[in-house]
Amino acid sequence: MTANVVTPDSIDAQRRQAEVLADRVARRSAIVDRTGVLLPFVVIFILAVALVPGFLSGANIRSVLVNASIVAIVGYGMTLAIAIRGLDLSVGAVAALSSVVTAGAINAAGAPLGVLTGLLIGLIVGLVNGLLVAFMRIPAFVATLATMGVARGAALLYSHGSRVTISDTGFRKLATGSVLGIPGPFLLAILFCALTYVLLDRTRFGRHVCAVGGNPAAAREAGLNERRLIVAVFGLSGVAAGVAGVLITSQLGSVDATPIQGLELQAIAIAVLGGTSLAGGSGNLPGTFIGALLLAMISASLNLRNIPGYYQYLALGALLLLALGLDTLRQSLRSRLMAGGTS
Amino acid sequence: MSTVSSDADLQQGKDPSPGLTDPPPGRNSVAPLAGKYALQLFTVVGLVVLCLVQPEFRQPGNLRSVLLQASFSGLSASAMTLLIVAGMFDLSVAGIVGLSAVMVATVMPHTTVGAAVGAALLLGLALGLLNGVVVTKLRFPPFIATFGMLNLYLAAAFIWTAGGTLSIAAVGFLPLATTQILGLPLLFIVMVLGVVACYLILTRTRFGRNLRAIGSSEPASRMAGLPVDGTRITAFALVGLFTAVAGVGLAALLSSASADMSLGFELTVISVAVVGGTSLDGGRGSLLGTFTAAILFSALNNALNLLGVTSYWQYVAIGLVLILALFVAGLQNGRLSFRRS
Repeated sequence: MTANVVTPDSIDAQRRQAEVLADRVARRSAIVDRTGVLLPFVVIFILAVALVPGFLSGANIRSVLVNASIVAIVGYGMTLAIAIRGLDLSVGAVAALSSVVTAGAINAAGAPLGVLTGLLIGLIVGLVNGLLVAFMRIPAFVATLATMGVARGAALLYSHGSRVTISDTGFRKLATGSVLGIPGPFLLAILFCALTYVLLDRTRFGRHVCAVGGNPAAAREAGLNERRLIVAVFGLSGVAAGVAGVLITSQLGSVDATPIQGLELQAIAIAVLGGTSLAGGSGNLPGTFIGALLLAMISASLNLRNIPGYYQYLALGALLLLALGLDTLRQSLRSRLMAGGTS
Repeated sequence: MSTVSSDADLQQGKDPSPGLTDPPPGRNSVAPLAGKYALQLFTVVGLVVLCLVQPEFRQPGNLRSVLLQASFSGLSASAMTLLIVAGMFDLSVAGIVGLSAVMVATVMPHTTVGAAVGAALLLGLALGLLNGVVVTKLRFPPFIATFGMLNLYLAAAFIWTAGGTLSIAAVGFLPLATTQILGLPLLFIVMVLGVVACYLILTRTRFGRNLRAIGSSEPASRMAGLPVDGTRITAFALVGLFTAVAGVGLAALLSSASADMSLGFELTVISVAVVGGTSLDGGRGSLLGTFTAAILFSALNNALNLLGVTSYWQYVAIGLVLILALFVAGLQNGRLSFRRS
């Protein structure tokens, strides 16, 4: 207050300094966002290799990759939904519905039509979610909670609460076969990762999604069609869940109405772990993929050590809270650095 | 300056009796009343129709069972209403039901019924407090954080019971679900008392006013010096306590306890509160609505059962009713416009 002589020059210098600092902070925190998940990934990998006998066996690696791929594909849709500041709790039930209906349709009409039906179901429920959120202004998590109930009920009704077994064994090659030794679903997961990455980070659509998620009011002022973007994002999330359902049917050959317990939670956890902030406005798809591998490694390790299945709840809940903790820490750290940089 | 004026605002100005959406001004006096009590009207008409159409439905025993079933979701939802009014949310209720039921089943053989019930309620209170601290102090988004807590609670209950079911044989405990007072199930009376207590808390106490203020505008409440975090933590604790009562009641009804005894309970509880007219935007809640919606859902499930419809339809029905209620609420708020705002 007293000694500092304020001249235009010093203000200018300060401002430039602040800009440089803010830029550095932004770049560093972006690096942390992008790569933060690698640290727990490496730690868990080393622990698993050291402590879990048979972790590096071919069969186990294969099952880790396939399981991770199915969850990752759902996670990509979730990442988009989170990027637009939404959330899709219906994905687990949608994957289940798609999976049992796919099985039924394959038995009735063959594999191609069956796959198409499964994807279509995902798309339809996803679009309904989008319409509920965009046009009825229902908070995303309640709207998708409601459609989760409907989809779960529909899956149970369709399967009569029991299993649907596919007779077409050729279809099972989709998830159990490999190309050059790499499991098919893993290739699909990488392909979809690249596609959604390009969609979110390299196209106008992706920029608009992030704009709406980052600041809805400003995006509206800028003339973006918020509603169309929301419907599109939830539609994509539904399709992703539909793809997962098809893969689950192909992987298991016989499915009931809850093939993967808590899939929606896993998808949220891997997205947040991967560095996608729940505040919206960004999405890190490679991070989601790594997050899925991380989660699948933990599950496989618990299985191999014969730890009862319900410990998965524990691992998942703890992982989710850890991811949230990191997310909160990241945000407060960034705002503190920013505040320090500009004062 | 702003502190004083906003505090005064809160105390006098906009303090409508909560639960009653402001009727549109003018017109005659019947239409707004019908609009205000549309849910109650619908429920009563629905119950009367069901009684007329279905002979089994109107059996006193069946009606009692409707009331008994309504008391579980009603208890949890009445406290949840307070929490939603404060702009928060708790998805972990199914885990709290499981843990408190397992607690009562575990402790029962070693002590009196009262002590076991007390232990379960304390556990529920503690879990609610934990939720509140995680959400307010660690500043985790409430939906995901309580979703994560749900998994931790379920895991704890599964590990506790080794994935199995604990049966409860205590003679003094089971009457909790079967006792009748004046022909009404004891648990239903407990639920009514809980609803009334929450109503009085919301409308007649400083704490209730704080809940509404915080739900209406958190920044304004902070500026006005209200204890935002403390109020929310208390509301979470109330949800934990009320949900534990439901868990104990459910354990008495089933004479057993397991971790997954109420999977999906959160969907019912949320639906009951929202269908009852409590705004998810916070600041406004209706306990009469919550009470009515609890009975409506219970009657709906009961009627579907009597019709021989499989229980799977109930997921579908609850989801659809929830969407419908949100749609109607959107219409009433005028939020639902198909033009771009």
